Amino acid sequence: MKNSRYLALLVVVLLLALIGTSVQAQAPIRVALVMPSSITDISWSQSIYEGLVRVQQELGGASALEIAYTEGMFDVTAASQALRDYAEQGFDIVVAHGAQYGTSLFELAGDYPETSFAWGTATDTGADRGFNNIFAYEAAAQEGGYVNGVMAGLLTESNVIGIVGPVPAGDAILYINGFQQGVYAANPDAQVLLAYTGSFGDTAAAAEVAQTQISAGADVLTGTAQQVVGAIDAIQAAGGLWFGTQADQSPNWPDTVVASQVYDWAPMFRDMIAQRQNGVLGGIVYRLTLENGGQFFAYGNFELPAEVRAAADQAIADIEAGVVYPLAFMPSEIFRVAVVMPSAITDLAWSQAIYTGLTNIQRQLGGTDALEIAYTEGMFDVTAAAGAMRDYAEQGYDLVIAHGTQYGTSLFELAPDYPETSFAWGTATDTGADLGLTNVFAYEAAAQEGGYVNGVMAGLLTQSGTIGVVGPVPAGDALLYINGFQQGVAASNASANVVIAYTGSFGDTALAAETAQTQISAGADVLTGSAQQVVGAIDAIQAAGGYWFGTQSDQSVNWPETVVASQVFNWAPTIGQMIDNILSGTLGGEAYTITLANGGLRIIYGGVDVPADVVAAADAAIAGIIDGSITVARELPGQ
Amino acid sequence: MNSTIRRLFGGDWLAALVPLVAITVAFVLALIVGAFVLAALGADPAQAYGAMLDGAFGTSTNFLRVLTRGTPLLLVAIGVCIAFRGGVVNIGVEGQLFVGAVSATAFALAFGASLPAWLAPLATLAAGALAGAAWGFVPGILKARFDVNEILSTVMMNEIAVQLLIFLLSGPMIDPEQVAQGTRVPQSARLPQVTWLAELDARSQLHVGVIVAVFMAVVVWVLLWRTTIGYRIRAVGLNKDAARYAGIGVQRYLALALTLSGALAGLAGAVHVTGAEHRMVEGFAVGYGFSGIVVALFGRLHPLGAVPAAFLFGVLLVGADKMQRTVQVPTATVIVLQGLVVIFVVSSDIFVRRWLSRRQARLAQPSVSAVVTPEVQA
Amino acid sequence: MNFGEILVEALTLTLLYATPYLYSALGELFVQRSGVLNLGVEGMMLMGAFTAIFAIAPAGLGAAPLMGVLLAAAVGALMGLAAAVVNVTLQAEQGISGIGFSLFGLGLSSLLFKVLAGGVIVASGFEPIHIPLLSDMPIIGRIFFQQNLMVYAAFALVPISAWVINRTKWGLQIRAVGQNPAAADTMGVNVVRVRYTTLLLGGALAGIAGASLSIALTGIFQENMTEGRGFIAVALVYFGGWSPWRVMLGALLFSIANNLQIWVQILEVQIGGQPIPPNLLIMVPYILTIAVLIFARQRKRLEPAALTKPFQRGEN
Repeated sequence: MKNSRYLALLVVVLLLALIGTSVQAQAPIRVALVMPSSITDISWSQSIYEGLVRVQQELGGASALEIAYTEGMFDVTAASQALRDYAEQGFDIVVAHGAQYGTSLFELAGDYPETSFAWGTATDTGADRGFNNIFAYEAAAQEGGYVNGVMAGLLTESNVIGIVGPVPAGDAILYINGFQQGVYAANPDAQVLLAYTGSFGDTAAAAEVAQTQISAGADVLTGTAQQVVGAIDAIQAAGGLWFGTQADQSPNWPDTVVASQVYDWAPMFRDMIAQRQNGVLGGIVYRLTLENGGQFFAYGNFELPAEVRAAADQAIADIEAGVVYPLAFMPSEIFRVAVVMPSAITDLAWSQAIYTGLTNIQRQLGGTDALEIAYTEGMFDVTAAAGAMRDYAEQGYDLVIAHGTQYGTSLFELAPDYPETSFAWGTATDTGADLGLTNVFAYEAAAQEGGYVNGVMAGLLTQSGTIGVVGPVPAGDALLYINGFQQGVAASNASANVVIAYTGSFGDTALAAETAQTQISAGADVLTGSAQQVVGAIDAIQAAGGYWFGTQSDQSVNWPETVVASQVFNWAPTIGQMIDNILSGTLGGEAYTITLANGGLRIIYGGVDVPADVVAAADAAIAGIIDGSITVARELPGQ
Repeated sequence: MNSTIRRLFGGDWLAALVPLVAITVAFVLALIVGAFVLAALGADPAQAYGAMLDGAFGTSTNFLRVLTRGTPLLLVAIGVCIAFRGGVVNIGVEGQLFVGAVSATAFALAFGASLPAWLAPLATLAAGALAGAAWGFVPGILKARFDVNEILSTVMMNEIAVQLLIFLLSGPMIDPEQVAQGTRVPQSARLPQVTWLAELDARSQLHVGVIVAVFMAVVVWVLLWRTTIGYRIRAVGLNKDAARYAGIGVQRYLALALTLSGALAGLAGAVHVTGAEHRMVEGFAVGYGFSGIVVALFGRLHPLGAVPAAFLFGVLLVGADKMQRTVQVPTATVIVLQGLVVIFVVSSDIFVRRWLSRRQARLAQPSVSAVVTPEVQA
Repeated sequence: MNFGEILVEALTLTLLYATPYLYSALGELFVQRSGVLNLGVEGMMLMGAFTAIFAIAPAGLGAAPLMGVLLAAAVGALMGLAAAVVNVTLQAEQGISGIGFSLFGLGLSSLLFKVLAGGVIVASGFEPIHIPLLSDMPIIGRIFFQQNLMVYAAFALVPISAWVINRTKWGLQIRAVGQNPAAADTMGVNVVRVRYTTLLLGGALAGIAGASLSIALTGIFQENMTEGRGFIAVALVYFGGWSPWRVMLGALLFSIANNLQIWVQILEVQIGGQPIPPNLLIMVPYILTIAVLIFARQRKRLEPAALTKPFQRGEN
């Protein structure tokens, strides 16, 4: 009797232990959200809540992922108490979905080393202060904003577009900046009307701003924060179009909302959960971009013209590839850039590349009212160039670009005299940091990469087996290109013979023509070359019926039947990043390199009918360089 | 103890206790109505209110949180006491609090680091109080000199303060790190540590501001009931014509009441930023002004009555938040509950007044200063 | 656009966006003239705003727009009744109870929005009505005669209110109760009943004001969409010195200042080559309202002497 009672007890205990372990094994992941607005705000808070719910559904519902949330936490003190409470209750991931919660978060995260915290929008995980359980996240709102802007710019019939902003800060301003750039890039004639309501939730104020913009002629609108519902209604009544952000705004106005940039927080949550399983509790900064799937586009029922959709897809692809860089900042007053360059802005090569980059950024920022470009061309005299740079700095230009390696010495001498001015020097990698300079950027092009791709094609296209290279001087950018070109030829056609001749000059077109003709006489049927002198050489190979490969700028414009492809230097993203840095208070110290991977280098084809296998080989080379399976040496053995 | 209460409340402990009972009963009645709301939302009211109690009293941390939340409310409330006692309806405490906090922040960021450690927090608080006073002085002087109604001017000045705050935090005062990181969240840089109020408990963010607030409650009580200035402020509040007849410069004391009220609201903002948050953010202390007005009335417009009232309101705030987290009802439920509590408590006043007047008639004693609702001139 | 065209557009929008202020401030005017301060307008507007959208939205009850307005008025009146019980019968401190009703309305409207609507729902409410002949007049037609029904009704309410208060027996009672409730009482006026009726009316008009926000101005509801307009309405009653006409002037002044600052923003008006920070522009209507009062002294002639004072028989 007694024994059986013990036995029963033992069974019960064992059962309980079993249940305990099985429950433990299947314990759900617990995530808590603390948000400033409501989960029905169709913007900031709704987007993260929906992202988390998506992950919950994937994992199999509430038994696998438990979600708790507290919304409407305007009061930071109340929010910090909520955060601490969730941590106290043993939630695995506690999300502070508002940058304003950061200060409190850092004060409490240390007390809960087993809990992961996440906060945004922010980039600070506190790793430098010893925190290892904080994730940070931010959204590159300007990217989706740019794409929306491109579509808006193409769809507007009145050429007037309105933006209904909440307050000029945070995520909203990033989106608004990106949107404006997209509009200007797609439609330089469009006028953008921007007004703020001064509030995040005042729907009637948003409606009034929208109607005022409509009165002023706007037929396409956008805006951010939960207030925008009022504005969407106004533009719908006026028969216009709307572009949304943060969450999909089309369900309620399917015919008015053309597209919404939607934040997809699900990948971030998936990764956080995976990281936790691997024992990583924090320290990662997530950035929602188009490229990583953190942002996607949701389209409504509006019948978007195919060319507009194509332009949007192109913009997305360009942003993903880095070819287009939407700036996070827009200058509040005119931003003044001066560039000093050795040749002319129409040189089809070196100087034209930087000038095109500048004008692209100028167009993107809204034209000459936003960005002033001053330039001095033909400055092969280094002393004269130094005088020009000093002059520009004296005149208060925000950014003075010394576009020639040869200008470096004088630049480093004058930069300390103008600590408020930002300088850029290329191609170079030295920002003068070791000299104590903090106001010099450096930039260069990985010209060997495109050289390699050009070389691969040249090797396949040559009939005679002889390829000519018309070089200026064996140094700098030209040498990188030529080195890469040789490696490319060797990779695709080991038996081809590359004949290289230097003219000793950058601008002597006649000499370049003569050099080219000499190489043609020696049997070359495919040529390449570098610097502004090459126009002479292209002319010569055209006359001979051969092929040309260009670099620095797109050279096919004048000789479409001769120029197979050009490696184009796309300096716009680099300049954009410099301007972003300057506007955020960093005047120098960074070195940029444009590559095939970051979209700074592009291969642009001309009018030649290139065989498919050659294009395929070029594509394979590009892919190989981007993914690192092909490495192109900057220098050849023996140099 | 008894003698202290007697001195404070006109020598009658029952007169102090009855309002407390009335408020408690009203509080409970409001919660009973709230229970129906909770039940309609599919939540278990018992569980919800259990969580509420647990949130406010469950652990020492929870309890201290009540004090953290109550601290700025108490300071606002005693400022409101001065205004209402002085016959002005200061709806503008919300704006005065913002301006006080942002000015304290600006002061701390500009000068805090260069001040000696004992002076830095004091000077920062003073800067906040001064700025709040200035923001209160404007409607004060408008009322005194131009006869501009203070409800109108303070409502408008609240909106102006909100926009001013956003302007400063997204422009001139923005945290340089927010610019450098490109996130540009509207918030100030962190205050230099020397300007922080000493922390009493990290987990609840409790700081010495709670002592400052209680101390100020006593100071304001002394000011209102033990000084000539206070007597005159109250005289103006009770009956302007009589005060004028007695030779009191009515306009001046109306302006003074609003200014002092603003100073305390400004101090509330400064205390909260130096004690709890350590930087100004967009959304800082939203709603504290209106809650402070409610606290003042819960305390029967008496600075010392505001002390338990602020505590009670803190219980409501902290407890209701916890309730929301536990039973996962929409946060709006918490606001509904707060509204119900305010309505019920304010409605309970009449029963206290009736009881008191009956009792007075029985005892035939002179009126009790703490429970006479002053003439609030609109 | 030239300045004239901008002004026409601005005035057109001013009339439209002044409507919520007109309804709520005129309602508050009745309440105050009877001696009660109702600071709960904000909450009543929010309840009205939600009720109206939920009533007419296809995703809600799908009723006709006018039905939405009526229901909003009914819900507002219901809150007015509650306010009357608290303020008149229970003689509560009016400044505080109003904050209570504002909180309650904010919370309950958000809660109902969450539970009943589940998220943003849309409805098309009132379309602009072009009044024949008049709407074809240049400028005047555009500004005044191409508005929606809610706008016409709001402006019609101004002379009606003035007439009711100054020319009717009920108006006389309201004024008497607001000036000297004890005297009115001895003359046989039921003070409590008059104050109940004004609060019912004030609540109903606040509800309609909310409806005009949600279904005449925007076609949606969002939590806390009034954003302080209820308090501005109360301020406008003081601005107008308790006269319906002057309250209308105040609403128009405030609204046109607000619309013009939006124009200044979108036209990128600069001062000294610098753009004006938007938040400073947004302050302008609030500053202007105060400033106008400094220069045009408030007329206190109409001020109800018993404002905020609870009435109890035999007390005075």
